[in-house]
Amino acid sequence: MMSEQRENNSQNPSGPIGYIVGGGLKANLQARLSVPAQSVQEGAFVVVESGGWLFYGLVTDLQLGSTDPRFADEQTETRLPAQLAGLLHGQTLFTNLEIMTALMMERGPEPGSPEYDAWFQKVMDEQVHPEPVKTVPQHHAEVRLADAGDIAEIFGKEGEKGFFRIGNTIEGGHPVCVNLDKLVQRSSGIFGATGTGKSFLTRVILAGLIKRDKTAVLIFDMHNEYGPDDTASDTGFRVPGLRGKFPAKVRMVGLGAGASIRGNNPDFTLEIAEADITPDDVLMLSQELNLRETTATTLEALRTSFGYDRWFHAFKHMQVNVFEQDEESGKRVPAEGSVADWAEGAGVHPSAAEALHSKLRRLFNAPYIVEKPASNALQQMIENLDNGQHVVLSFGKHETDLDYLFVSNLLTRRIREVWERRTNAFRSGHQGAAEPRPLVIVVEEAHKLLNREMASQTTFSTIAREMRKYYVTLLIIDQRPSQIYDEVMSQLGTRVTGWLGDADDIQAVLTGLAGRDSLRGMLARLQPKEEVLMLGWGVPMPILVRSRRYDDAFWEELQGKSTQRSEREILDELGF
Amino acid sequence: MTEIEIGRLLRSGTTGFVIGCRVNQLEAPSFGALVRVPLESDYQVFGLIYDIQIEDDGLVRQLITAQDVPEEVLRDNRENRNVPVEIGVLALGYQHGERIFHLLPPRPPLSLDAIYLCTPAEIVRFTGIGRFGYFRHILRDRNKPVEELLAAHLMAARSAHEESGNADWYTQALQELITLMRDDYQGLINVLSAASDI
Repeated sequence: MMSEQRENNSQNPSGPIGYIVGGGLKANLQARLSVPAQSVQEGAFVVVESGGWLFYGLVTDLQLGSTDPRFADEQTETRLPAQLAGLLHGQTLFTNLEIMTALMMERGPEPGSPEYDAWFQKVMDEQVHPEPVKTVPQHHAEVRLADAGDIAEIFGKEGEKGFFRIGNTIEGGHPVCVNLDKLVQRSSGIFGATGTGKSFLTRVILAGLIKRDKTAVLIFDMHNEYGPDDTASDTGFRVPGLRGKFPAKVRMVGLGAGASIRGNNPDFTLEIAEADITPDDVLMLSQELNLRETTATTLEALRTSFGYDRWFHAFKHMQVNVFEQDEESGKRVPAEGSVADWAEGAGVHPSAAEALHSKLRRLFNAPYIVEKPASNALQQMIENLDNGQHVVLSFGKHETDLDYLFVSNLLTRRIREVWERRTNAFRSGHQGAAEPRPLVIVVEEAHKLLNREMASQTTFSTIAREMRKYYVTLLIIDQRPSQIYDEVMSQLGTRVTGWLGDADDIQAVLTGLAGRDSLRGMLARLQPKEEVLMLGWGVPMPILVRSRRYDDAFWEELQGKSTQRSEREILDELGF
Repeated sequence: MTEIEIGRLLRSGTTGFVIGCRVNQLEAPSFGALVRVPLESDYQVFGLIYDIQIEDDGLVRQLITAQDVPEEVLRDNRENRNVPVEIGVLALGYQHGERIFHLLPPRPPLSLDAIYLCTPAEIVRFTGIGRFGYFRHILRDRNKPVEELLAAHLMAARSAHEESGNADWYTQALQELITLMRDDYQGLINVLSAASDI
């Protein structure tokens, strides 16, 4: 009977897979599995039906058990005929599921009953919705794998109200959506060890955001992989860039005059005016430039001497180790226009000023920092973002950490100021002040900007902590979440994480979340590719997802099948 | 099918009874066979043979020690002996009217009541009702050879059920036994070992 039941259940995916035998709210629920253990995997999304309620949960562990340890110890199949051994094992050896319940929802009356219409109306009015689990199902309540309807009930239906399919459930292949409008309300993070598909998943989410068109996206594309077309490092396949797929919506900006991004000309180039650089921008590079503690004093003196607009230019053009003969005393003194000369006049220790000058030489030599940029690219970027376009700032050949830290931090500071001003104007009811368009800033290698030492100084940590109110949030992408400041991690609303090998990284991703003990093992055992765990504020409950593939099928689904091929595609096909 | 009387009741109690029979009746009853004792027109008690005892008497003792006992004397002693063969029966349930209960009988049978071997149809009817409740009466007294008794009963009942077209009965019976005995590892393994010899 049992084996027959097992057979039936394994053929019927929506049939019961077990029943509740114990557990509680604090500890997870325990369910006795009534189907072969291999038909359920860790991370499976299950539904427990009990009375008038449905409980939704994740399988966090599978444990082998026996009614008596001797049944497990003895290989009775060698002593008994196969049929008897099978019957014995069916009743004395079992697998228990550990289920972490997260949500519960009222099931409502049976369709067709007199109460059903009133209840259905409540559902339509959204008076009935999943709520955090507050009680437990009854003993022997049936457990089943969630079907597509259950997943849609919890995670939303693709195409409705900003719901975007991010992947499918592992066990049933049912679509799992994320609410893009909710996702961008708080900062989010995409994590995973190198090679786990972070970049592809980020492309998928960004494509969804751009298609949704409710949010402006600014991408700091450190490795030039989001804007232009790329080639996958592992498969060698062509990977379409966002610029090519959304030519009217995505502006590709290159850093520095004459920038070229993978052989393509950007829409415009970004040069940073010397006058735009503040002492704070330099201070944020303390770690990268190995600046001394005296730097802040020296920078403040420079600002006082030359003003906010001129200090960088003036300092850059000062000379070092240049001396002249003092006419009165005949002594060898620093020449006029030298760093030491200015330092003596400003009350700064000359060697401190000279050391700073030396260390800033990398910035002085940066070709994208000019006295007078050819155009106000920064303003243009802001306008683009305002006008419903999205900006990919490619760093081109300027790929050093210094370039990335300096430019991304400076730009973000400026953009943040603009958005803060606009939000204040909108909130205070100034006439004509429109509601700012939500902005998502995409930051790769986030630990460089948000590590413990930097986090308190950079604009990014302020955004992660406070800028939600000002319509600016971050989407941070990183392979070492443990290197990111705890306070920033705890502010991340939605976290999507692929496989992480380091226990500290796993710990960091789960910071501040309920049920992290149960999720830790699951995270450590994710498949190295394509499997991701979605959790946090932006999703109703944690769920294991096989992430959507970033391929032609994805674009066809997103944009509809294209009948016209691009010139590039035709040339590729011909082998040019 | 003709009724096979296997003896008459010697003594009885609520949980079982003992039948006495002649040696020439001994070919019909067997260890593990299901029997019934009709008491009134609508009431009969069912039981399972768990023991068959052949007691000695003074003459047997003399004959065993004697030399060159003629064959006809041995046969005469066997067939016409005064001491009956005693058959121990475990009460498993009863029938009242059309209903069969796997409960101990409300009244035991009386002395000299006739006992009949159950036909395959009666076996199917008694063992096919309910959820094998009569197993608990068998498992209760661990002083009896429970494993062998169950094996003998399962063999007979499986045959009857298979003849009636219910091939699943045996599997279901084993499952119920495993459920009832899974806290008794050694007992269950003994039962299954015995069953594996069927």
